Amino acid sequence: MKISSNADRLVSQVLTGEVWPALADSRAYRVGPDGQPFALPGMGGVTLGVHCGDPATGYASDHLEPGASVRHRDPAANMALQFLTCVGNPVRVETGPAAGAAGHVIGQHAYVLADFPESVLAGLTTGDAVTITACGQGLALSEHDAIVVKNCAPGLLERMPGGTRPDGRLEVRVAARVPAEAIGAGVGMSSEYANTDLMGAYAGLGDDLSLGLEGIRIGDIVALADADHRYGRAYRDGYLTIGVICTGQCMLFGHGPGPSSLLSGPADAFHLVDDPAANLSRWYHEELETAQ
Amino acid sequence: MTTRSLASSRPVSVNLLGVVEHPVLGDGPYRIDQDGHPYLPVGDGGIVLGLQLGDSVFGRRADHAAPGACLVHPDPASRHALAIYSCIGNQVKVRTGHAAGARGVVIGKRGEEGRVIAAFRPGELAAMRPSDEVSVRASGQGCRPAGFPPDLTVLNIDPGLFDVLPTVRPSASGDGPVSVGVRCSVPSKLVGNGLGRPAVSWDLDLQLPPPEPASGSGDILLGDFVAVTDIDARFNVGYRQGWLTVGIVVHGSSPLPGHGPGITPILTGPARVLDIRQEAASHVGLTAPMLKLQ
Repeated sequence: MKISSNADRLVSQVLTGEVWPALADSRAYRVGPDGQPFALPGMGGVTLGVHCGDPATGYASDHLEPGASVRHRDPAANMALQFLTCVGNPVRVETGPAAGAAGHVIGQHAYVLADFPESVLAGLTTGDAVTITACGQGLALSEHDAIVVKNCAPGLLERMPGGTRPDGRLEVRVAARVPAEAIGAGVGMSSEYANTDLMGAYAGLGDDLSLGLEGIRIGDIVALADADHRYGRAYRDGYLTIGVICTGQCMLFGHGPGPSSLLSGPADAFHLVDDPAANLSRWYHEELETAQ
Repeated sequence: MTTRSLASSRPVSVNLLGVVEHPVLGDGPYRIDQDGHPYLPVGDGGIVLGLQLGDSVFGRRADHAAPGACLVHPDPASRHALAIYSCIGNQVKVRTGHAAGARGVVIGKRGEEGRVIAAFRPGELAAMRPSDEVSVRASGQGCRPAGFPPDLTVLNIDPGLFDVLPTVRPSASGDGPVSVGVRCSVPSKLVGNGLGRPAVSWDLDLQLPPPEPASGSGDILLGDFVAVTDIDARFNVGYRQGWLTVGIVVHGSSPLPGHGPGITPILTGPARVLDIRQEAASHVGLTAPMLKLQ
């Protein structure tokens, strides 16, 4: 992105975490939109076979978290890990058969979500330690005072197309535009924690549940209409939030594939360009994988 | 559907123990409002004095303030049960402290860890303190009043309360739409915190700005009935085109992004089973005299 920022004034902090297990309780079932009981995998642990660029929906899964789901064992240290880690930050495996492998952060979901090449994920499991070099919170755009940057590594911003236009607006390429009606669980929470579940993406279920979002992919850059995520996630007429889809298929009602928040401000501070290729896999992920 | 299979079932009541909550804060005193300004959350839980059913949700400089005492339980699982089984209209009785013997009524509940909001006569509320024990006679989940169409789900409300609520009118034929008077109808996109959560224990915050006298937009009062379009609240709460959910306003506004005055849902179904009457300024929702708490 052609843009001036304070990236050279940021600090990086070395954080640790471990691949956190999938969690369940003795009742097993949760409840779908029509009251369907379900017990489906996808959240926590290591989820294989779904990466940036792949469809977000269409799996027998709930709260699908691609790749490794990471937390810190100490509650306060975990909040630091969740708040300070940004999309695009590098992740290194420290223990287990995959030790030494490199991946990167694709989002937050009350876990830090780290994607790795499939061959690395195959050797990764619960309890494996990782190191994350966190950098990005505090990033600010010199010529776009009204836009607040969240959860975005400086390297990700550099790789994204677009930038400052002659008319002063910020050009951003987006793979999908999301209506305000789609915003589900996650509204009302901190912008630096978890993500915003999008309703209306229940592939294969009733038309009355659809908001036309079944085609979104993991890693898609999306624009959320009337969403103000500058200091928490809220509805606000005339605002816009840019996010990256980091979680997929949900059966739990009121939940769905979700973006981590990257940029937020008044809608007229942005110039959106529709681009189906606006996905982490094109600008970031692929290049990292090639470097393995 | 669960509600149909239980249609002819007789309700049971259970006595639950609620403990009057003390407000809690983290290490830092501030929360951050939508424009990035820090604020101190006042009135978020515990006992809030000077606020009553019928007061504006925007009338106080407070965060999620509810008119009465919030009841919790020290054991998390017991606390969830307290919140899930308690219904609006359930009778409560103070068992310990200066207000022992006082009668109150459940007027709402709030989500996440679970809180039951109970209203009392002002003098008796003022005599209460956090840690007082309150017995809740919980009844209502799974119940259906006669004359409600099968596809209308009823939740979080004591069936006996319908007898004193003039704003809810079943159809004469017994299977037609139930007519419900509301202060206003709100589009689903304004629903905030509470989406995706179980409707039997969470409230739904509405992201509504204070009324602007110049624009003629109306106020919303504690106890009002409010309808939300395109929301299905039978289980978890989510978007479903062509559905309606009606709730009772149980707490006031909040500066927190994505939060606002909250409704506890009581009726949800496809639009054909609910006839919503938008009553605006003439609306009368749940009031203290109806609950004999004036």
